Amino acid sequence: MFNNSSKILFITMMIIGTLITVTSNSWLGAWMGLEINLLSFIPLMSDNNNFKSTEASLKYFLTQALASTVLLFSVILLMLNNSMTIEINNSFTSMIILSTLLLKSGAAPFHFWFPNLMEGLTWMNALLLMTWQKIAPLMLISYLNLKNLLLISVILSVIIGAIGGLNQTSLRKLMAFSSINHLGWMLSALMINESVWMIYFLFYSFLSFILTFMFNIFKLFHLNQLFSWFMQSKVMKFTLFMNFLSLGGLPPFLGFLPKWIVIQQLTFCNQYFQLMILLMSTLITLFFYLRICYSAFMLNYYENNWVISTQINNFSMKLYLICTFLSIFGLFMISMFYSMF
Amino acid sequence: MKYLSICSISFLNLISISMTCFFCSLYFLLNNLVYFIEWEVVSLNSMSITMTFLFDWMSLLFMSFVLMISSLVIFYSKEYMSGDVNINRFIMLVLMFVLSMMLLIISPNLVSILLGWDGLGLVSYCLVIYFQNIKSYNAGMLTALSNRIGDVALLLAIAWMLNYGSWNYIFYLEVMQNEFEMMLIGSLVMLAAMTKSAQIPFSSWLPAAMAAPTPVSALVHSSTLVTAGVYLLIRFNILLSNSWMGQFLLLLSGLTMFMAGLGANFEFDLKKIIALSTLSQLGLMMSILSMGFYKLAMFHLLTHALFKALLFMCAGAIIHNMNNSQDIRLMGGLSIHMPLTSACFNVSNLALCGMPFLAGFYSKDMILEIVMISNINMFSFFLYFFSTGLTVCYSFRLVYYSMTGDLNCSSLNVLNDEGWVMLRGMMGLLVMSIIGGSMLNWLIFPVPYMICLPFFLKLLTLFVCIFGGLFGYLISVSNLYTINKSMILYNLTNFMGSMWFMPYISTYGVIFYPLNYGQIVSKSFDQGWSEYFGGQHLYQKLLNYSQTLFLIHNNNLKIYLMLFVFWILILVNFLLFL
Repeated sequence: MFNNSSKILFITMMIIGTLITVTSNSWLGAWMGLEINLLSFIPLMSDNNNFKSTEASLKYFLTQALASTVLLFSVILLMLNNSMTIEINNSFTSMIILSTLLLKSGAAPFHFWFPNLMEGLTWMNALLLMTWQKIAPLMLISYLNLKNLLLISVILSVIIGAIGGLNQTSLRKLMAFSSINHLGWMLSALMINESVWMIYFLFYSFLSFILTFMFNIFKLFHLNQLFSWFMQSKVMKFTLFMNFLSLGGLPPFLGFLPKWIVIQQLTFCNQYFQLMILLMSTLITLFFYLRICYSAFMLNYYENNWVISTQINNFSMKLYLICTFLSIFGLFMISMFYSMF
Repeated sequence: MKYLSICSISFLNLISISMTCFFCSLYFLLNNLVYFIEWEVVSLNSMSITMTFLFDWMSLLFMSFVLMISSLVIFYSKEYMSGDVNINRFIMLVLMFVLSMMLLIISPNLVSILLGWDGLGLVSYCLVIYFQNIKSYNAGMLTALSNRIGDVALLLAIAWMLNYGSWNYIFYLEVMQNEFEMMLIGSLVMLAAMTKSAQIPFSSWLPAAMAAPTPVSALVHSSTLVTAGVYLLIRFNILLSNSWMGQFLLLLSGLTMFMAGLGANFEFDLKKIIALSTLSQLGLMMSILSMGFYKLAMFHLLTHALFKALLFMCAGAIIHNMNNSQDIRLMGGLSIHMPLTSACFNVSNLALCGMPFLAGFYSKDMILEIVMISNINMFSFFLYFFSTGLTVCYSFRLVYYSMTGDLNCSSLNVLNDEGWVMLRGMMGLLVMSIIGGSMLNWLIFPVPYMICLPFFLKLLTLFVCIFGGLFGYLISVSNLYTINKSMILYNLTNFMGSMWFMPYISTYGVIFYPLNYGQIVSKSFDQGWSEYFGGQHLYQKLLNYSQTLFLIHNNNLKIYLMLFVFWILILVNFLLFL
């Protein structure tokens, strides 16, 4: 991917688009940034040799274009209304804006395109879609202070993210539903505080980076590939599943830390109902992650007689191991540093 | 290694301590001394935790006997267990067993008695399951759980003793003997003693514990485990006399004596016969104790320990020679093939029967004569004398089966007296079971009992014994044309030969309904409703929801986008018209 010079251009444009959105001080500028971002991400996704990714890029284009159109429409509507600052919080116009942004980020009632799309992507594109592409819409959502629709979206996101992953055998769909679930947490973090959201987002990006990095190197797309995954060593398999659990948010691992922060903030704000739903759905997520680990280590512990020697270069290996170390022991280290000061 | 094995070292240690105890007890006996040692372990504010020991002639004499028998048993096991890889563990266990017994003997305190008592229970479990097979495990579980009832009773007694502010029971027995609380304590202690001494509702573990190695049986059945109950009641004897507890115990122990004697006549397992005879003798001790003659109970306890240990040692030697078979029908003619062992066997058997001037004679004869001059009802009288006859009966039956006739085991079988180590162990006890009775008789009773009986009553014991022996011979004689008389009344035979069904009652009888209800509860709650309303059902529901969710996810992009447009239209609608 990085050998292709046009891709470098598109990636740069994509980043610039997001930055324009984040830094703009008018809705029109934000819309423009979103468009730049969309139009430069589509060539990244499409691949002439793979019609599934072409299909995915088309789907992405259609959904995002629809959302952008309606966004532009509602922004104009907002300007016509002429009383921006007062009514922005509880008018139907802002509800329309919020709906379009939720559709762009793939949050729950408008998430249907997201898992289908993920199925056609390469792992690197999937990573971009799960992390970077969410920055701009989420940032715009944070400008709106509209609780009711957002709360509905949070609850639906976590529940659908949890239940959808339960029967999943495709790793990309699994990651997509996990992303929807995490998006629910991020939205609820967003309702409290922007910096909490940012912390959550950073940790989530880090954890999904480790997983997709490995998936990408070893071309893992389905669960049964994971079970017989002995190409490097048993340590690799073990650490990979630790990362899985970390992403799910099992307490001794790093993934629990952002959840911990959100839990604490929600308790301070007396949002017990929302918190309960978040936690219950995360338990379901944890359940199926644990079930996968259980199968991988005990029930389906088989080895292939043949070995595919996939070369992993030294740099990637070191990167992976350092990141895994952080992901597994990060919570301990943060607590220790915290107690030092 | 040959001369300094763990057996030899333990033997030397134990025998020297035993001798010391014996001479101390002589000194205490002569000077009528009692030493009460109290060691304050820790004292905190007004509360002091103390360890107390009571040394009088009784505890010292009993201790010397226990130590002597255990030293000889360990000496004997050096050869008996010589092929065993775990012999070190075995000897350690036996030593721990003896240690628990010591703690039990010298403590006048209910808490430290419980320590020794629990130690006995635990180590006896480990010893019974020493040969690791299913039968041993079952026997061990039966033993441990039967004894656990006694442990619980002792714990409850400790809880009741809290009323008095101290657990040194000897200070309170006489003063408080008319109080209700003391009666409760007494009955709980009696319950504990009955489990340990295998009195009637709890008898079934004693023959089952024969799964232990033979040296352990020799130790357990002669002087340690089963006599712990008798010894405890000897210490509590004040509470038994002149109360309903004594009467109750007299009835139960008499029945135990009768039941065991009867059962031994139907048994074909060598060790089980001896175990049942132990049970019978325990019943005798308990019954004379419940009539208030605690010194006689102690006397019989000591003499019985001597010849019973010898009997078990001989049985062990015989079992070795019979290729580990314990069935007496396969034996026969052993007096020709292993004369020295047979001599020991016969001496101890005769001592058990009460043959004049052997060890058992002095204690048993005196007990029976005391019974005759006491106030006693007809039923108990019958139990005493009939059981005495039965003892002689099964002893002679045993001798007839094993010592006379021809060998009925496999044809190519080399029989000989066992090695010199085992024989030496037996010789020591042989001497003691000949002279022990008269020696103890002269030591324990400074003034002889005055016994005055009519002529025929005096001869009753002798007559009962002779008749019993004759009967034992007659029921055992069989030839080719004999009708098997035990099959005529098969149900009665079954009843009497299986200890009055007690092994069934105390295993299946106890566990049958709880196990069934447990299964029902487990099936309908643990694996039924609570699974249904708990994890499994929730899991199924979630899977169903997940499947339903995927119907919606069926890649209909057009519909999704249309729905979004409709949603926006609705919002715009509201925007325009609200």
